[in-house]
Amino acid sequence: MKRFNPKFKQGLAAALLCVAATSSHAADLLDTVKQAGVLRIALEGTYPPFDYRNGEGQLDGFDVDVAKAVAARLGVKPQFVTTEWSGIIAGLQAGKFDVIVNQVAITPARRQALDFSQPYVYSSAQLLQRENDSRAFKSLDDLKGKKVGVTMGSNYVDLVKTVPAIDLQVYPGTPENLRDLAAGRIDAAVNDRLMLGYLIRNSHLPLRPGSVVPGGDDQMGIPFRKGNPKFAKAIDDAIESMKQDGTLKKISMQWFGADTSKPVTQ
Amino acid sequence: MEALDLVIHTLPAMAKGAALTLKFAVSSMVFGLMAGLVIAIMRISHNRLAAGVAQGYVSLMRGTPLLVQMFVVYYGFPDLGISLDPTTAGIFTLTINAAAYLSESMRGAILGIGRGQWAAAHSLGLTHLQTLRHVVCPQALRLAVPSLGNTLISLIKDTSLVSVITVTELLRSTQEVIAATFQPLPLYLTAAAIYWLLSTVLTRLQVRVETRLALPSVH
Repeated sequence: MKRFNPKFKQGLAAALLCVAATSSHAADLLDTVKQAGVLRIALEGTYPPFDYRNGEGQLDGFDVDVAKAVAARLGVKPQFVTTEWSGIIAGLQAGKFDVIVNQVAITPARRQALDFSQPYVYSSAQLLQRENDSRAFKSLDDLKGKKVGVTMGSNYVDLVKTVPAIDLQVYPGTPENLRDLAAGRIDAAVNDRLMLGYLIRNSHLPLRPGSVVPGGDDQMGIPFRKGNPKFAKAIDDAIESMKQDGTLKKISMQWFGADTSKPVTQ
Repeated sequence: MEALDLVIHTLPAMAKGAALTLKFAVSSMVFGLMAGLVIAIMRISHNRLAAGVAQGYVSLMRGTPLLVQMFVVYYGFPDLGISLDPTTAGIFTLTINAAAYLSESMRGAILGIGRGQWAAAHSLGLTHLQTLRHVVCPQALRLAVPSLGNTLISLIKDTSLVSVITVTELLRSTQEVIAATFQPLPLYLTAAAIYWLLSTVLTRLQVRVETRLALPSVH
């Protein structure tokens, strides 16, 4: 899924103003990382079940496990940096960290600014509805004239906007979005298929999963700065080997009870 | 009482965030007051260049969003070869931003001191800087305190913006708990209460300063 928000654009524009474009690091990121012995990984820390602080205050989640495994394959230690989504891509470009492992969807627009690893997660958008709401919305077209909630900055904002007749409501966070859905102020919410089980279980709200949204498929990759061919090869190899030996499937089964390391065949 | 349990359980994490908030607020207050004074003195000086530079600075700092300034300092400066860690970048940005507002409060207070004070000091043979130091500024401080207090209280809440440069301060640590517990309202209210508490402490300090500076004849 995931996310570009207005605050980010505002800030990025400002950052770009004082950036004289091309950066000065001549060395490949792979050499820098190996030399430091550390892979600096950015994530939000507020995005369960992908990355969040557990009861003990430790970072936990699917993306945290994946990032640790990737760092291990590269032969370096993982070092996590938590930051707001609005600063996360600017931070990557400024070299504050090496990669983002935070369910970043691979999109053509992002490919122009960043390089991505091969996909490590395949998912899609899915609807959420109230438990006692028996209406069956099969696609976005069924929601014309209805109120649909999404989280600010998520790529579901753009997805829902493809049907202009939908009354789009944008929320600062998923908890607020789900509360409004449960309170009956909106008709449906759109979120990551992978998050639905977790959201319904942990929000303690009377909600149920709705249909998978046709045309809402996503592939998630690990972005890093452009111009690092050796690093690109190394991280692709790491993910490929995690797919081959079942590591990725194992982590995915543990968090979602389903294999998300392969495209969905429905 | 479920909400109360949650809040109590969360307090240690929020206290950590509050400590960071306090660190950023206090540091940038101290540096901001010092920088603000320098800018105010430049602004009222007879040197056209110094006054112009100060005026441009204040205009730029007050006329652009703090969030953008934070972004430029932390994410933009590395391209100029200046790479600051999050703490330094955060305190620096809050300082340069608050200094602009504080300097205007100080300038107003300095201008509020009658010309007769200057004339009297000059006739006693005091230089411009001596007059500022020993005659004008001590009196101006009394006039400036309420308005400085305003800016400093705003500054406490402005610290929440350092969350965009990877610092998990009070508001961000609250959001981390909200993301895991789906209880926005009690947690945001708790964060608000902590901010209010911090502001109240600062207000108390302000009252003490005002009392100390008050003229004996004023009741």
